[in-house]
Amino acid sequence: MPGPEGDRRDRRDGRGRGTAGDGGSGRDASPPDATAPGGADPRAPQAGVRGPSGGTGPRTSARRRWSAVWPVGPLAVALTLWAYAVRTTHVTELDDFGLVSAVHPAYWAGLAVLAAGFWFTVRRPDRADAWGLAYVLGLLVMQRATQALVYPTPLHAWAWKHDAVVGHLLTDGGLRTGAELGDMAVYDQWPGFFAAQAAVVRLAGVENTLTLMSWWPLLSSVLVLAPLVLIHRTFTQDRRLIWTGVWLFCVGNWVGQDYFSPQSLALTLHLAVLALVLRRFPGAEHRGSRQAVWTTVLVTLMVPVVLSHQLTPVVLIVSLGVLALTRRHRDGVPFLAAVALFAAWNLTASLPFLSAALPEMLASVGDIGANVETGYGTTPTGAGAVTASWAARALSATVVALAVLGALRRPELRRQARPLLLLTGVPPLLIAANGYGSEMIFRVLMFMLPGAAFFAAAALLPRSGGTRGAVPPPTPARWLWLPLPVVLAVTLAFVPSYAGKDRLSYFPPAEAALVGDLVESAPDGSLVAAANRNYPQAYGDYWRLDHYWFLEEDPAKVERILSRPARTLALDMKDVAEPGRAYLLFTEGQRADAEMNGRLTGAEWRRVEKSVATSAYFRRVAHNRAGTVYELDVRAVAVEEDAR
Amino acid sequence: MTARDLLTRMLPPLTGWLAVGALTLPDGSPARVAAVAVFLTAGPGAALVRIWWPALRVPPAVGPAEDWDTRFTGRSGVLERLLLVPLVSLAVLTVTATALLAAQAFSGRRVLLLLTLLTLLAAYCPRTRPS
Repeated sequence: MPGPEGDRRDRRDGRGRGTAGDGGSGRDASPPDATAPGGADPRAPQAGVRGPSGGTGPRTSARRRWSAVWPVGPLAVALTLWAYAVRTTHVTELDDFGLVSAVHPAYWAGLAVLAAGFWFTVRRPDRADAWGLAYVLGLLVMQRATQALVYPTPLHAWAWKHDAVVGHLLTDGGLRTGAELGDMAVYDQWPGFFAAQAAVVRLAGVENTLTLMSWWPLLSSVLVLAPLVLIHRTFTQDRRLIWTGVWLFCVGNWVGQDYFSPQSLALTLHLAVLALVLRRFPGAEHRGSRQAVWTTVLVTLMVPVVLSHQLTPVVLIVSLGVLALTRRHRDGVPFLAAVALFAAWNLTASLPFLSAALPEMLASVGDIGANVETGYGTTPTGAGAVTASWAARALSATVVALAVLGALRRPELRRQARPLLLLTGVPPLLIAANGYGSEMIFRVLMFMLPGAAFFAAAALLPRSGGTRGAVPPPTPARWLWLPLPVVLAVTLAFVPSYAGKDRLSYFPPAEAALVGDLVESAPDGSLVAAANRNYPQAYGDYWRLDHYWFLEEDPAKVERILSRPARTLALDMKDVAEPGRAYLLFTEGQRADAEMNGRLTGAEWRRVEKSVATSAYFRRVAHNRAGTVYELDVRAVAVEEDAR
Repeated sequence: MTARDLLTRMLPPLTGWLAVGALTLPDGSPARVAAVAVFLTAGPGAALVRIWWPALRVPPAVGPAEDWDTRFTGRSGVLERLLLVPLVSLAVLTVTATALLAAQAFSGRRVLLLLTLLTLLAAYCPRTRPS
């Protein structure tokens, strides 16, 4: 069972000078260069590591040098292949498989080389952390920077929505109520993330967050590494376990919550709080006067979580509550601090939203069937969407199954990392509480993943063979080759899971320009109607424009629209007060969403477009290869109504 | 106070004033973006962690049961401190910007000035004492 590290200080390091438990204390008198990657020799362990002597002969020296440098090879080859693939990938004509079929084959080769290189590099329990970190950073670059480089515009309509929220804060300079903004006021009740981004935009002197949006998946994924590694380091010294766990977290985190969103930052802060509580808040009997300072740090990290996101504070509170119930972390201070902050914010600033949503939230408690439903109009349709969907399911199922296997076959790890095991079990409880807009199952996966990845790694590695004394032996050949296909498979499966629906998520510059011009030129109070909200700026200038997505109506209403598209839409859109106008927008992004989520067939889409294009109610006002904008002739509708 | 202590203490507010000065550069210029980014992601956090760290580092951290790597604990401590610097910076940025928005007084310059003043104040604060 883990104990206070300082308790073992005298046993572990007779040379230590310091009295404290941090790296700057000078506790270790080992030479600083021993931390270099070269320290990870197969025979001579890095400084500070108890192990066999490395020998002194010329062959030993040569082996040591080779061991120090060979991991550079696969990493360099992989990144070179990736760079070549990025340069030669063209995304002008994406098919239903998204980036999977568009990316150059060198990308896949690079990813395979990287995964294999990683697996052989971390085969030693005492391999210097720098190598694990280098490979994981390489993986994140290949996973999360590729889209930023190959697509000229940011992905995901949701991210564009968040850019619109930042735009609203910059335009208004303050927070608004539901009476002024309608449903979008919810973002003004949890404004933390957007407020910070608004400051960044102003201070950098840029027009919007679009560039940041493109790179945010990489930035947020790198940011989450530090708390994740710290959590894993709380339970083992074995670098294989630590870095394989981190690797599996990166490849299993396909859910896509790393995009430009409050939850991406909130997840990092959530994990940081958990890491600090696991490390610094042992049972109350160990409590000292430092508690106040550590609590100050925790509160500092919790506040932005509470200000920014609805769900993460709930997960945090439940996680801290579960930890406080364990003997090892029986300290209620972090839990009470989180509850107090959550209550303070939700009973004041976000009370309007909560009071309106509370009846529905209460009704969903216990309704597990409804809470795991994915919702109307989200049925993957077409070979690409179905493949991506199944790849994602298989990937998640594999990681969870490995986690179960790892926990079962490593009882010593189950004991050592029991708090982490408990934390992994917390998120599934949320399924019983709420559906979170049909997204709860994905959020549950995301919150489970830090712990699940750790135990999944344990399933792929041999038992470390004792916890005391010398460094465990390197991974034997059997354990090196057998799990390799699994590591390769999950690493490659990430790509279709994460980027297999890019036809949905990517909006070419022509589409962004078409919508941008419309939003910019529409008079105040105008209505912008579209089939669905899958296009850039679907919430553009929402504080002065209304938006309407007709495929999100109930199925009966959608049927009425499909039976007489132009007339039904015209009647729905006609009540726009002057000086506003009513626009109808069709784009390729909407079409991809309608087809790939099973809302409309290609034939139905064409019929709607043709009906509008040939109608007397609508006049085409803008068009390019990515879409068309129509303006409703309100007088024509009125004349028609009078005639009837 | 050694030269290193002075540097550690004054570097965060210095990066803040550099960021303030960088606002005179053209909109979106790389130097301006870099100066602002460095300060916002590290300045306030470095200043506050400097104050807190003597008290934070004293209690032993909970760690793994294995003890074959005697430097492991120290490295975890370094990682912990490195983790706190950007996250505390981002936390302070988030709270400051939100407070100004709630007060209908938001502007980028106000956020930056407040954070720089906070960082300056933190630089003059004595460090907590290990107890």
